[in-house]
Amino acid sequence: EDFRFSAVKIEGNKRIEPATILAYAKVAKGQTVSGDQLNDAYQRLVGSGLFETVDLVPQGGTLVIRVKEYPMVGVVAFEGNRVLKDDAIAKSVKTKPNHVFSPAQVEADANLIAEGYTQAGRINVRVDPKVIRRGDGRVDVAFEIKEGYTSEVHRISFTGNRSYSDFTLRQALSTKQAGILHRLIQSDNFVPDRLEQDKQNLIDFYQSRGYPDAKVTGISSDMARARDGYFVTFNIEEGQQYKFGNITTVSEVPDLNVDEFAPLAKIKTGSVYTPTAIDLAITRMEQLALKKGANFVRVDPRVTRDPATQTLNVQFALVRGPRIFVERIDIKGNTTTLDSVIRREFRTDEGDPFNPREIRNSADRIRALGFFSKADVNTKPGTNPDQVVVDVNVEEQPTGSLTLGASYGAASGFGVLVGVQEDNFLGRGQSLGVQIGTTADNQQSSIDFVEPYFLGRDVKARMHLWYDTTSNDNADYNTRIQGLQPSVEFPVAENSRLEARYAYGKKKLFGVTDYTAASGTTPASGSSPVLSYEQSLGERTASSVGYTYTWDTMTTNLDPRYGYTFKFGQDYYGLGGDVDAISTTALLAAQRKVMHESVRLRAELEGGVITPRSGSDLTILDRFSGYGKVRGFESHGWGPRDVGAPNGDALGGQYFWALRTETEFPIGLPEEYGITGGLFWDTGALWGVSSSERALAMGLDDSDKMHIRSAVGFSFFWRSALGPLRIDFSKAIKKETYDKEQNFDLTISTKF
Amino acid sequence: CQPLYENHGYVPPADQLAGVQVGKTTRDELDGMIGRPSSSGVLAGSGWYYVQSRWRTYGAFAPKEVDRQVVAISFDGKGVVSDVARYGLDHGEVVTLSRRVTESNIKGIGIVRQLMGSFGRISPDQALGHNDK
Amino acid sequence: CGSKKSAEPPMESFTAEQIYHRGEYEMETGNPRRPDEALKYFKGVQQVYPYSQWAKRALIMEAATEHRAKKYEDARSSAQEYLNLYPGDEDAAYAQYLLALTYYDQIDEVGRDQGLTFQALQALRDVIEKYPDSDYARSAMMKFDMAFDHLAAKEMEIGRYYLKRGNYTAAINRFRVVVEQYQTTTQTPEALERLVECYLALGLTDQAQTAGAILGHNFQSSPFYQDAYNRLKNRGLDPEAKGESWLSKVYRQVIKGDQL
Repeated sequence: EDFRFSAVKIEGNKRIEPATILAYAKVAKGQTVSGDQLNDAYQRLVGSGLFETVDLVPQGGTLVIRVKEYPMVGVVAFEGNRVLKDDAIAKSVKTKPNHVFSPAQVEADANLIAEGYTQAGRINVRVDPKVIRRGDGRVDVAFEIKEGYTSEVHRISFTGNRSYSDFTLRQALSTKQAGILHRLIQSDNFVPDRLEQDKQNLIDFYQSRGYPDAKVTGISSDMARARDGYFVTFNIEEGQQYKFGNITTVSEVPDLNVDEFAPLAKIKTGSVYTPTAIDLAITRMEQLALKKGANFVRVDPRVTRDPATQTLNVQFALVRGPRIFVERIDIKGNTTTLDSVIRREFRTDEGDPFNPREIRNSADRIRALGFFSKADVNTKPGTNPDQVVVDVNVEEQPTGSLTLGASYGAASGFGVLVGVQEDNFLGRGQSLGVQIGTTADNQQSSIDFVEPYFLGRDVKARMHLWYDTTSNDNADYNTRIQGLQPSVEFPVAENSRLEARYAYGKKKLFGVTDYTAASGTTPASGSSPVLSYEQSLGERTASSVGYTYTWDTMTTNLDPRYGYTFKFGQDYYGLGGDVDAISTTALLAAQRKVMHESVRLRAELEGGVITPRSGSDLTILDRFSGYGKVRGFESHGWGPRDVGAPNGDALGGQYFWALRTETEFPIGLPEEYGITGGLFWDTGALWGVSSSERALAMGLDDSDKMHIRSAVGFSFFWRSALGPLRIDFSKAIKKETYDKEQNFDLTISTKF
Repeated sequence: CQPLYENHGYVPPADQLAGVQVGKTTRDELDGMIGRPSSSGVLAGSGWYYVQSRWRTYGAFAPKEVDRQVVAISFDGKGVVSDVARYGLDHGEVVTLSRRVTESNIKGIGIVRQLMGSFGRISPDQALGHNDK
Repeated sequence: CGSKKSAEPPMESFTAEQIYHRGEYEMETGNPRRPDEALKYFKGVQQVYPYSQWAKRALIMEAATEHRAKKYEDARSSAQEYLNLYPGDEDAAYAQYLLALTYYDQIDEVGRDQGLTFQALQALRDVIEKYPDSDYARSAMMKFDMAFDHLAAKEMEIGRYYLKRGNYTAAINRFRVVVEQYQTTTQTPEALERLVECYLALGLTDQAQTAGAILGHNFQSSPFYQDAYNRLKNRGLDPEAKGESWLSKVYRQVIKGDQL
């Protein structure tokens, strides 16, 4: 029935305003109100979540709205939680102090907490919220948590695995058996959805070893009697192992000729079938099609199975895919990096034909920038059926680092080191590094600025300035080297780039203590006369122009398993200045991943020669030092040395070559630690001091003849938050008596 | 050094273009036949333009457009193809881009906050003071 | 070492009004960047006297203080709390406006993600629609136009990116988005002038003339019209728009970070 109210009276509200209640109720004075309109008003008031009880009482001409407000939340507390800390839980809980209390929300929070625990591998956790009413209409909420004990996986066993032992299969799983270290390792907790993921791991394991039909028919996990762990059993149906039959390639695209694509399959008939071999063949063929500018080309692998001979015949068909265009490239999430810095990594512009291979390459290039913790590139349908929108979603990560150091040396006095390195300066993709060190004994100051797309072109422009001094605290002479080097680097062919540079510098050797023969009780002292001679040359300016040619298939190669790098560089000193010489260096590196890409093999051959123009001099600052060539020795620890002089100074050499071989392999620790081991063997030689200077030396070894050094060692690689760390333990196995070894070295390398 | 080539845009191949008859084919039929135009005229109902260009880059020099095909399809009032014209690179003008830009009056966060905002990475090599000669 | 706990009597011993006014005093005199003192009192009023008039005003003042101190997330949740509790109140318009400002003040330059701009537009529209006759509606409208203009500027930035790379069709499509969907913004004259440049570069002179005509018809006084007019009559650009030596180009693009 209908009501007409001349007045509305509100009772029981303390904090909430009458106007607010009227705003929710939407009942105006003097307006006829039907029964269900009244009900709607009631629903709205309850829906606001502000009131514990609401009732509308029509009393003749007036409508009485009687409400009882929810109290405010005072304190929110968690008791009994040991594994998850308070603030970790508080983040997921929605009931907050100073907000309106709502019992439904508290119930939901209890489930959220329990859910948090199952993620951490604790499944039998009970959370019950307690509500404590305080006098003044406030309420405290306490979540009582009974964590109980962790439930571990005691044993993992398999049925139906004929070709691979339980031990090898267990390596493929992410759930581990609880071993002695079970306190530390999380991965042995019994987590249902991790078992699901392990099912897929097992299938991948078998498929990549030639069992296309491998299936995990079921996982049974039964509780141990002592109720503190589980026995998990995977039932496997291996099916048969298949080998590759004949591999053919056919092209249904008129202007692509098959003979160029067929050799790219690189699958030997008779080799064990793996899905990755097919993917790699497709990658190689699609990259070639991309290079030849063929639009809308896709490679379809048509696999036909021959159970009799257990072989799979694969036909790679070049087909013309659907005609789809990129309508727009939307870039989101770039709160620091500028839009153009990401957009310029795309070789596809808006409006161009859509090529999935090219978009994937661009995604890799964006990730390689190193500015983002996450960079997803995916496509969504455009406004028309033949259009697609490329969606780039990035998550920024800090790219700037500040290094502050202070040092106090008895001799050198107080010094400070300030370093700023920003790889994404103002979001423009430029990198700027400034380092100023003022410790007296050795001071390394430098400014380094790189603009990767100079004037919008694929040209890397770089300006590097340096000012380095070393003092005789840790060597027997002082040096001061300062200079600047502008350079540009640009592509010259498919996988090769050329850097052209000009360098201008001043090098000064001073503080050499001259040789004084022994007299009476005082023994002989001082450095080699060679250094004294070189010191007499005073400060020498070196003005050189040079280039370095780099051919590198590591980054853009078609096959991630192989990678080669070749570098060849020369510097011509003599554009004015005192140094007059030609320095040539070369490097050849090859890297290969074997055994399902778990083991990495790498070999590097490096060489260099610096020959002064006839009649001009070279000093120790011009010659090559031993730094970074053969592991196991200090940088000045090997190479030509005036053994006759009391200080026995190393003099550096004009010629060097070095061969470094190493391997990296997993050492059984769970993957989440990111720790792998490795072995290495280095050998090399550093020799050659000019004949005029050899005459000055007291007793020079290694000056003209090449003495080979070599060292072996083992290393640990740790992909830490600091960046990839590498610890080398080395032992020299072929060295000269006077060499100085360095058996331990901790280095940070940007990538392995 | 070798020049590097890059293609952008799309022009329908000749065999598909032959199917377009002036005075007969309408705008909707065209859509299915030769695909999406690279762009179209300013006003609604104006011509469709397909542009494909090939760029060559030599070393550090600016990329240069070495070949451009433009197919301009114009329509009459009733949306029927009235003309199919093909232009090359020479038909276009070399245009100097105006440097005048309309600044947005929202300036965004200041330089200092941008610089400070992105600190936090522990730069390993500086931390260990390792920089080789 | 003992913290300098000022021997302040506990809040309970003051009336709601006194705590509120102390908060207001702290807000006016204190350093806007360090709002903790003022917030302590505004929050105090709400805890000790949750049902008083002053608790309501303290909540809106809390939001304003947090916003002034650039603590945008806190300001946003306080403003939202106010709108939940007191939707009908006369300060609700200010709360809604504050909510919009927390997004608007964080809008970054065109080169960066404009997610906040969309949220700001949304919140500003709420102010305009829900409280049309409040005095915040007018400044919300003004800020709405500026944010909308900012979105147009982003489209232009991407258009100029493709223009500079010489991909005229991609540039045309971006500039046409500005002409069609953002025609009320200050970017439209430049969009039309860029269209003239692109069509001329492709040799489609009739489209260039059309774009120039639209520009002349609607934006007679804009300097862009002057550029387009000279370009169409193929007289040279006036110096200000043409750009100078190679070195200054390097300075502008590498140091200042301009596109063109």
